[in-house]
Amino acid sequence: MLSIQGVITGYGKVQILRGIDMSVSQGQIVALLGGNGTGKSTLLKAISGLLPVWDGAIEFEGEPIQNRRPNEIVKRGLTQVTQGKDMYPAMTVEENLRIGAYTRSDRAGVLADMGKVFDYFPVLGERRSQLAATLSGGEVQMLVIGRGLMARPKLIMLDEPSSALAPRIVLDIFSIVNRISRNEGITILLVEQNVRMALLLAEYGYVIRDGVVHIEGASRELINDDNVRLAYLGGTVTDAGAELAH
Amino acid sequence: MELLLDFVIVGVSIGIVYGLVALGISLIFSGLDIVHFAHGEFYMIGSFLGIAVILFTGAPYFWALIGAMIISGVLGVVVERVFYRRLTRGGGGYTVAGMGMIICGFGMSVALQNVAYLLWGAAPHPYPVGFGMPIFLGNIALPKSYFYILICALVLMTVLHTFLTRTKLGLAVRAVAYNKDTSYLMGVNVPVMISLIFGVACAMAAAAGVLIGPINYVQIEMGYLMLLKAFAAAVVGGFGSLPGALLGGIVVGLFETLCAGYLIASYKDIYAFLLLIVVLMVRPTGLLGILVKVKA
Repeated sequence: MLSIQGVITGYGKVQILRGIDMSVSQGQIVALLGGNGTGKSTLLKAISGLLPVWDGAIEFEGEPIQNRRPNEIVKRGLTQVTQGKDMYPAMTVEENLRIGAYTRSDRAGVLADMGKVFDYFPVLGERRSQLAATLSGGEVQMLVIGRGLMARPKLIMLDEPSSALAPRIVLDIFSIVNRISRNEGITILLVEQNVRMALLLAEYGYVIRDGVVHIEGASRELINDDNVRLAYLGGTVTDAGAELAH
Repeated sequence: MELLLDFVIVGVSIGIVYGLVALGISLIFSGLDIVHFAHGEFYMIGSFLGIAVILFTGAPYFWALIGAMIISGVLGVVVERVFYRRLTRGGGGYTVAGMGMIICGFGMSVALQNVAYLLWGAAPHPYPVGFGMPIFLGNIALPKSYFYILICALVLMTVLHTFLTRTKLGLAVRAVAYNKDTSYLMGVNVPVMISLIFGVACAMAAAAGVLIGPINYVQIEMGYLMLLKAFAAAVVGGFGSLPGALLGGIVVGLFETLCAGYLIASYKDIYAFLLLIVVLMVRPTGLLGILVKVKA
């Protein structure tokens, strides 16, 4: 559904991605993992059109979308859900959801989808006429996911839905994301630093480091992979040192 | 007492005109991340365009207002597309491009003033409309144009407010004003929205120009002082906040008129800035400084 071949890009003259290859199939949940500053968000920006692609190809449903405008890419059904801080605080919850459906003109469908979002996230329904600025961190994360759903996307890219949230809330949100993916048939590309959680949810994972795909594989294998374990699953530098000494 | 009422009506009318211009400055600041220093010129050109519409078509005052707004709005979009877009693409605010934009705004102000000079000359022009006899409040005669200002400005503000809060396009404008990248990801065509914001802002300035025309003479240098007053109004109300711009305008207009009336009239133009300084000292965010803008 989404295929990325040899994508190179960066900011200004600074190159961040040095040739990324990956693909996401219809109906899959795929995790894109990596530490801070490895290029995960840069890749998302390149896919969604916020950042020009210097070289390589990005195809969505068989059509090239690299260097298209973000609003055109959204219309094709590829939506990026940014981190929670990117909601519109001076708008109400309902307005935030409405702007998510900006590309659509079917009023009835939009209303129905808003009902759906309130089913998945009942707390948003309770707060629909409240300003988004008054929501808690978890609620804001739900709001941006709901806002992404309002575009009725085929593929959603979730940018770190677990960031700065309590583990309990992360668990809630991840299980809802799982339900959404299954019920609505939405493909999900999940970008995460919380590797353990992401691999529990996803079927396949890519680990990027220094702007290239470092490791990839089925989630089950990645969880048991020593390199991944060491680097991302609670393995610390001293652990690594101890293991190397053996 | 009658004198006070007179001052209040005059002050609020003038203030609401400041508010219209301040509204545009605030809109452009939210949408483009720049302070538009040529905005006073759109007010001036709008005022002249109103005269032109009346003289060429013989249309009544109301249609001159609408005509001047449309022409100035289109002119604003052209200026933004042709001259400003190259600079704002590099980012506004405090970046190097943002500084360039400020200089460019001053340059545009000089350029537009000279265009107006070539077209209409340096002499002050009276507005070719008559509103008939003034209204008498006791012993005080008050020209009807003040009431026109109040009514027209309030209608315009209501229309703009309804547009921003009740329509899908208005929602998109507010979204773009808050955060362009996120709005792009919502599928909003951000460059088009920016043009729209600029056009609406210039149309508002033109409306202010046409409304103030019958009170003052129209001349090519009227934009500069208006820009400063409107800027003061925007800051007093809370920069970037639209209701704040209107409120700030009314506060500045009222304060200035009352001070000029009861204190020293020849210092009229100083009072607005006195108020600006006090507000910046006591409440730097302005009266309604709220969550309206995120800086990347």
